[in-house]
Amino acid sequence: MTGHIFGLGIGLAALGVGIGLGMIGNGAMQGMSRQPEAIGKIQVAMLIALAFVELVFLLTVFIVPGSLKI
Amino acid sequence: MSNAKQSSGPPAIVGIIVGAVLMFGGFWFSKNVKLEFIKTLEAQGIPLDPGKTISIIGVLLILFPVIKFFFIAPLAEAIQNRTTELERTFGEAENLRAEMTQMKQDYERRLVQTEADAREQIQGQIKEAQSLRQQMMAEAGVKAEELKASAAREIEAQKQQAIAELRHYVVELALQATEKLVEANVDEERNRKLVADFLETVEAPR
Amino acid sequence: MGDWITQSSQLIASVEEPHGAESHGGDHGDGHAWVSWEGLLVYVAIVVGTLFVLMAQAKKGLNNRFFTNKLTQLFEQVYLFIENMCVGTIGAHGRRYVPMIMTMWMLVFSGNLLALFFPTSPTADLSFNLGLALVSVAYVQYEGIRANGLFGHLGHFAGPKLGGFLALLISPIIFVIEIVSELMKNVSLSLRLFGNIDGGHRAAEAMNTLGAGIYVPFGAFLLPIKLLTVVVQAMIFCLLTAVYLSLVTHHDDDHGHGHEAEAGHAEVAPAH
Repeated sequence: MTGHIFGLGIGLAALGVGIGLGMIGNGAMQGMSRQPEAIGKIQVAMLIALAFVELVFLLTVFIVPGSLKI
Repeated sequence: MSNAKQSSGPPAIVGIIVGAVLMFGGFWFSKNVKLEFIKTLEAQGIPLDPGKTISIIGVLLILFPVIKFFFIAPLAEAIQNRTTELERTFGEAENLRAEMTQMKQDYERRLVQTEADAREQIQGQIKEAQSLRQQMMAEAGVKAEELKASAAREIEAQKQQAIAELRHYVVELALQATEKLVEANVDEERNRKLVADFLETVEAPR
Repeated sequence: MGDWITQSSQLIASVEEPHGAESHGGDHGDGHAWVSWEGLLVYVAIVVGTLFVLMAQAKKGLNNRFFTNKLTQLFEQVYLFIENMCVGTIGAHGRRYVPMIMTMWMLVFSGNLLALFFPTSPTADLSFNLGLALVSVAYVQYEGIRANGLFGHLGHFAGPKLGGFLALLISPIIFVIEIVSELMKNVSLSLRLFGNIDGGHRAAEAMNTLGAGIYVPFGAFLLPIKLLTVVVQAMIFCLLTAVYLSLVTHHDDDHGHGHEAEAGHAEVAPAH
């Protein structure tokens, strides 16, 4: 049972992180298309933001199993 | 923290020695020390071995100075040298171009100067020719005037002569006519004087 | 203790099956074992040896005019990329950190590349990543202390300078939070790299199991996306290090603020 809950939790985390990554990509692309000369800076900021959002998922993956005592 | 204001980092040899010590210390740690919370972490699926971490810190402390002095410093120096070399070459090319531009400007200026000179000369020649023409025309006019005047004088003289001759003929005719008319042999000298007086009176109103 | 050299000869095998005390005790391991100290040594040796062979080759092509050696050109591109990143993120004084960040980039990148072809790699090991992150964050602290002085650097943690009673109340809280966030930087740097690279391995394994019945290695089709991860993660690791460096050293330009922070700390200190 806990395994199922774990899977569901991971799926939910992936859902949220996917939405977050998509929003970051959306914003970055809009910014890039509005200001093509600032693509370099936007890309760097976008990558940093992506890294932080991604970290949330990784934390979920590595912390949740321990707290659920699987 | 005594070297807080020092511009260069700690000497590389210290890093290497500390790194080597940490490397073997990590090996010892990994083999002999078993920490409780590491087992907990492993049970959570987070595999962590502090011994490995300590060793890696040591390896990195060795690697940073070694790679810096082995490769990155020469690479950076070569790139720097190449950049300065390129800048120098560009500077030379720039100088040459400036020189060339200067020469071209000189040449153009000289060209313009020459053209202006030539135009001036041509203008001068034309002006000279025109003045010559004027002069010649004036001379010709003067000569023509002279010729006209002399011709007029000649005509006048001819006219006077013709008038004198005419007068003479008229006198002769009048005398002969009068001689025929009176049929008397009068003194020619007196007659002539008479006629001349008469003619004087005739000429007077003319 | 002397037999670790003989042990290291069977390392690749030791990765495949649980290896003594180093194997983890979780339920969901299904054969996924962690490499031992000696195994990590071998993988690090592969990475570092490859790097040194390549660098020695590239060093021959160094001259002051034009690099004709392909390898030298490659390393030059890496150098220029890192330099761009440092100068763009940290500012004009970022050129000083290029050797350190470039070494880090090369280690992480070649470790990630190794992860594409080997069952494990240095960067797929959390301990290696934690060491890397610890060195990175410690270097950031060292640079911060060098730029602002010890008290100035500690004053950074205390947040903005507040006056009077408020300082006694709020600054300690901010100080604790900042210290925790510094510690979390280690965790986030190492866990991100570990999660991405090891996650790639896990995904490839899972997809291989999926296709095992019909003998199709689906995991191999993940190679392009793993290659993207390799490049992006190496870049993000160095970029974040550069960002942290810029956060602690960007007061280099105006010294007045640094002294303000120091003064602010002097007021805060009695509260502890």
